[in-house]
Amino acid sequence: MNINCDDRERILEDGTPAEWTGLEGHAASCTSCAEELRAWRSLSVTANELREYSESLTLWPRIRQSLAEHAADAERQRQHRNWRSFLPNLSLSWQAAVAAAFVLLLVLSASWLLRPTTKSPQQSTGLLKSKALADVENAESAYVEAIDKLATEAKPQLGSSETPLMANYREKLFVLDSAIDDLRAQAGQNPSNAHLRYELLAIYQEKQRTLEEIVEEKR
Amino acid sequence: MGMMGLALAWQTRIHPVAQRERRVEPFGKQAAAPDSVAETMRADDLALATACQSGDLHAYERLYTLHGARMKNLARNILGSSMDAEDAVQETFLKVQRSVGSFRGQSSFVTWTFRVLVNTCYDARRSRLRKKEVATDDEREDTAPRPEPRAASAHPTLRLALERALAKLTRHQRDVFLLYEVEGFRHGEISEMLEISEAASKNTLFQAKKNLRQMLEPPRHRDAAGAR
Repeated sequence: MNINCDDRERILEDGTPAEWTGLEGHAASCTSCAEELRAWRSLSVTANELREYSESLTLWPRIRQSLAEHAADAERQRQHRNWRSFLPNLSLSWQAAVAAAFVLLLVLSASWLLRPTTKSPQQSTGLLKSKALADVENAESAYVEAIDKLATEAKPQLGSSETPLMANYREKLFVLDSAIDDLRAQAGQNPSNAHLRYELLAIYQEKQRTLEEIVEEKR
Repeated sequence: MGMMGLALAWQTRIHPVAQRERRVEPFGKQAAAPDSVAETMRADDLALATACQSGDLHAYERLYTLHGARMKNLARNILGSSMDAEDAVQETFLKVQRSVGSFRGQSSFVTWTFRVLVNTCYDARRSRLRKKEVATDDEREDTAPRPEPRAASAHPTLRLALERALAKLTRHQRDVFLLYEVEGFRHGEISEMLEISEAASKNTLFQAKKNLRQMLEPPRHRDAAGAR
């Protein structure tokens, strides 16, 4: 191969092995090319001085630890994403539809829970609270005391007369007193039951009317 | 170059053993590996990439065992400090772990890893430079690495001169020189790492060596040239 000084730079940059052989042959008789070739080779040899493959005892453990930590973080994030992983599989329109259905369900549930209730007075007073119970018992005691006074006033008329009318009044009062005793016994076991209290009140009122009639007969 | 003050009498100062150790194909093309060997290397590379993609830490350990020292050496030559080099290698492994899923095998896994390393090193250099600029607004900082003292070598003067000369090259010239002459990569691999063509890699190496030659040239030669 015929090589001359003009070919040198091209071969130094990108010469084929055959061209390199040719250049070395040319350098044997050319001082300038020989000097250039020596310098070029020496530069490559000097580069070896920058090769220092020292072993670091701490580097791999450091890297391994950071890799393991990063892998653990990634796993935690992956698990965190799993519970909602179905969402990305739905198209945007389906996601919107699901969201709308959810909102509708919420509105219906809220309106059902917050609907106005129409309870009857009886239902609303089905059970007496402690303060109301105390008021009822106080009123009942006063009422019973007043009826007893009325009974005391009617007693002479009721005991002295043997008329059939008075016999009926005595019979009626006996039945009413029996009913009062039964209801008071039940109310004692279930003092908060308003229905018992209403029934008791009705019987007291009947007893009051009966006693008033007896007193009226006396006059 | 007077600044260097080093008259490197090429050839005479190089120990004969060092010459024998140097790469066989510095001036020409590397002898092509037999097809079967190349195929085996490709298969190994692919297996390593697949194992890393599966998250196997042993695969990363193998990557470190095979290339860790070379990675650290390259990082030290770019950054000028062993400590920074180790940080860069660690950061590179983390980046590889984070993005290995996107590796599609367009290049070899090892060259891809070295590309990540080179980019990481320059990110670190930029970050270091920004910090220095914040610290000293008025002082203009040199972007080149400041070499730290290293272990004793056969030719400490030569090495120091080369490090200083390398610092004056452009980034691409320095990268190609380090990857080719120091780390022993082929132009095909360097072109993948630096995302340039093979021809550009060869030309950049030529320009780098030409510049280094001028910077390290013995003063007597330049005096003689000046006289002419």
